[in-house]
Amino acid sequence: MKIQVAIILLEVVLIVLALAVYLIATIIQLFKINAGLDVVLPAVGEIVAKTAPINGVLDAIVKNLVTARDALEGLHLKKAGADAAGLVESVFPGEGANFLRRVGRSGKVVNVGTVYTRGVGILASLGRGAPIGAAHTKGPAVRDPKYSTTAASMLYPRPGGARSRPKSPVVGREAAHSPYEEALTPGERPRDATGRHVEAAPRAAPGGQADGGDRPPAAAPAPPPPTANRITSAKGTRPWER
Amino acid sequence: MDPDIPLWLMVIVLAVVIPVLASLLKGVLKAATSIPPKIDAIAGVAAAASKDLDAVVILLTTQNYISQITGSVLNYGGSLNVALPDY
Repeated sequence: MKIQVAIILLEVVLIVLALAVYLIATIIQLFKINAGLDVVLPAVGEIVAKTAPINGVLDAIVKNLVTARDALEGLHLKKAGADAAGLVESVFPGEGANFLRRVGRSGKVVNVGTVYTRGVGILASLGRGAPIGAAHTKGPAVRDPKYSTTAASMLYPRPGGARSRPKSPVVGREAAHSPYEEALTPGERPRDATGRHVEAAPRAAPGGQADGGDRPPAAAPAPPPPTANRITSAKGTRPWER
Repeated sequence: MDPDIPLWLMVIVLAVVIPVLASLLKGVLKAATSIPPKIDAIAGVAAAASKDLDAVVILLTTQNYISQITGSVLNYGGSLNVALPDY
């Protein structure tokens, strides 16, 4: 036998051997895959069975929500009128056009939020007299992110500007600008509970006892004895109540 | 022409074919080997997903709630329609 034939036989044997080894290993892996799929398939079947009724339930939920949305959008359109789409746009950017399309309207959507703060826009829609058109819609936002309340109040006309409102009165022991007038009879009550004038009690001399200080201070006058028809309440006794 | 040349050519061809065939078979085996771990992972995920979907029944309760909430919202809208002036 020639050497070439021997080599060819050897190579054929190697090829068959390689085929056998790799194909047998592959077949073993395929059996494992088959066993694994047997485990997976029932679980997938459960998933399919459990998700089957979801479509109907979700359709019913969506139907309910769409009904409520349509009703509320109709109400919003009825109450806010021409500013309805702008209000929607200010709260949900990009939804103003969709809102107009859903309610069957057309036109340009002006974002109310670019002119007013959200609260001012809502107040304007409620008829609180916000100055519509205080700024151009294509201009910079009027609201100030840092002082938003002041920016909103600046939209309202007020002589002297938003910060010109009178300050609260300062009340204190020695207030420089006390809002109260000085009493003419400090510490005394000119009228009693019934509205009658009270006799002015003699004031003590300044410095205390001027007669030497030996006598004890005079006792306070005794209260008048209670009478049967004494009025204990001022109700009904004032001139305008008679 | 030497009569042994065809034999030598066959020897060379077979010598080239053997590594090529081995590499191809090795690739097939490698691909087949990589599948079982993934199937095991899928089995675990599918079992967990099937267990999670046990809560789907609650959707029926949610549907009922949403129906009631929708009714309440519509009633509230009707009240607003009366309370607020039209544009």
